[in-house]
Amino acid sequence: MTSGAPASETVAPPAGLLPQELDLARLIVSVLSLEIAPEEIEPEAPLFNQGLGLDSIDALEIALAVSKTYEVKLRSDDERNHRIFASLRNLAAHIEKHRPR
Amino acid sequence: MRPEQGAALPLTDRRLDSVICRRDGRAITVGALLAAAAELARRLPEGAAPQAINICTDRCRMLVGFVAALLRGHVTLLNADPAPQRLRALAARHPGAYLLVDGPVPEAPNLYAPEAPNLYRPEAPNLSMPEAPGLPVLQVPEVEPDAGEGAPPPAPAIPARRIVAIGFTSGSTGTPTEHPKPWEALVAAAQAAAERFALDDPAQPPASLVATVPPQHMYGFETTIMLPLWAPVAIHAGASFFPNDVLDALESLPARRVLITTPLHLRALVAEGRRPAPLAAVISATAPLPPALAEAVERGWGAPMLEIYGATEAGSMASRRSLLEPDWLPYRGVRLALGAAPGAAPGTVEVPGLGEVALSDLLEPQPDGRFRLLGRRGDVVKLGGRRASLADLNRRLLEVEGVTDGVFLAPEDLERDPAARLMAFAVAPGRSAEAVLAALRQSVEPLFLPRPLLLVPALPRDRLGKLQHRSLAALRLAAAKGE
Repeated sequence: MTSGAPASETVAPPAGLLPQELDLARLIVSVLSLEIAPEEIEPEAPLFNQGLGLDSIDALEIALAVSKTYEVKLRSDDERNHRIFASLRNLAAHIEKHRPR
Repeated sequence: MRPEQGAALPLTDRRLDSVICRRDGRAITVGALLAAAAELARRLPEGAAPQAINICTDRCRMLVGFVAALLRGHVTLLNADPAPQRLRALAARHPGAYLLVDGPVPEAPNLYAPEAPNLYRPEAPNLSMPEAPGLPVLQVPEVEPDAGEGAPPPAPAIPARRIVAIGFTSGSTGTPTEHPKPWEALVAAAQAAAERFALDDPAQPPASLVATVPPQHMYGFETTIMLPLWAPVAIHAGASFFPNDVLDALESLPARRVLITTPLHLRALVAEGRRPAPLAAVISATAPLPPALAEAVERGWGAPMLEIYGATEAGSMASRRSLLEPDWLPYRGVRLALGAAPGAAPGTVEVPGLGEVALSDLLEPQPDGRFRLLGRRGDVVKLGGRRASLADLNRRLLEVEGVTDGVFLAPEDLERDPAARLMAFAVAPGRSAEAVLAALRQSVEPLFLPRPLLLVPALPRDRLGKLQHRSLAALRLAAAKGE
């Protein structure tokens, strides 16, 4: 999933979750009441449809939680949007890049 | 107003130089749209029964595709789901169908035949699915604002009784039910909505609409595809899904701004906390609006909060101002059809252009001509604008290998909490909840998947084998406390 992405949007895949990925995984599991431990989310697996099986209602919930927690506003009129939501890793990288310091 | 058999209605009643779409600061006139549609219509496939599966997400291009199909006498299939298995199933049911897109064919790159890049072919068919023929894919081009200048665009009349679109009710899964829409029914509903929301008032500036609902959902189709053909409104054609998309879009448009949305999107918008550009009205449909949201819009945003009552089978039927009016005022021409027993709650309505339509809701007529919504028939639940039957979901759960018993439950606040989900209990010795869920995902729409699915040693069935409401509630409570 990361092959076509610019380096700025992705991180070289380490084993397991990065700390910021684990934080995001905890947030997602909590706001969506998912029956999975945050540590078990595959960082590179698709969040929607096949992978975690999330849908558009979840996308709204995640956008809201990300906005409140990280002050990062997700938008869809963005060519990269498919990539941002493609995996936990990509979403975490996008948040890291855009959150105010 | 109802035309005679064989009568025809125009494609649009709008001036050619009036604005119908806006995108990225550009205004597209009715004339430019018609010219683009006529150009696309020339390229549409021939065939015995050509039908357009129009999955465009850009509303302007969705409109171009719909009008192009109309010009050729083709039916548009109102399907928003780009999943390959759904497209394959539609193509199998509708030989002669073609796909109209405004981007890449989503998530199906392996379905292109390499030798013919614009031809979509199904993967090796699985055993339960009849093989679909290749599905031609056509890109709907971006409309140029100066398209059609100088050339008189077509203004054909369309036979009033002709079926021009098919809406789908998904149910929980499987084969969606099809609801054919004659042109006159769609036009009548658009005119009724324009009148009800004063969108056709010549004393006011033309309205700018931003919508969060897909243009293939019946509510989205009526308000963002049909309405712009029959009322002086301009539809925002860009992205409008996430709260900040919507807020940006509203800021980019001239007044009078109207937001077409759902309780789900509205909840996210209100929670985002950023005040929208001044709104002339907010319109919601698909589920009853929680009063707190209506108050946030009326008091916080200073905009009238209106709701439409509708169903895919019948289209939009009535409206109300949520905070002030508990009951629904039927659209012009819509009549409750009373059953045999006087005073009985009717479940059918008479709709212009459609005749009598059965509903899955119970309506109670009021003396003032309005009606009250009493609830839903039977075990139908509604989530995210889609319906499913709990009995059908239970059956699918029991079909999962290893599941010996199981039941879906709808939370008490399903109608009030836009983000509420179903849950399920299952007895599946030797299987994990993840495995059962994975199997269920094969036959149930993701929206209706249980969250959570809890495995229990047994369900509290009584001596008749029934599950009592009380014992299920206890089980649910125990699950909420434990875990």
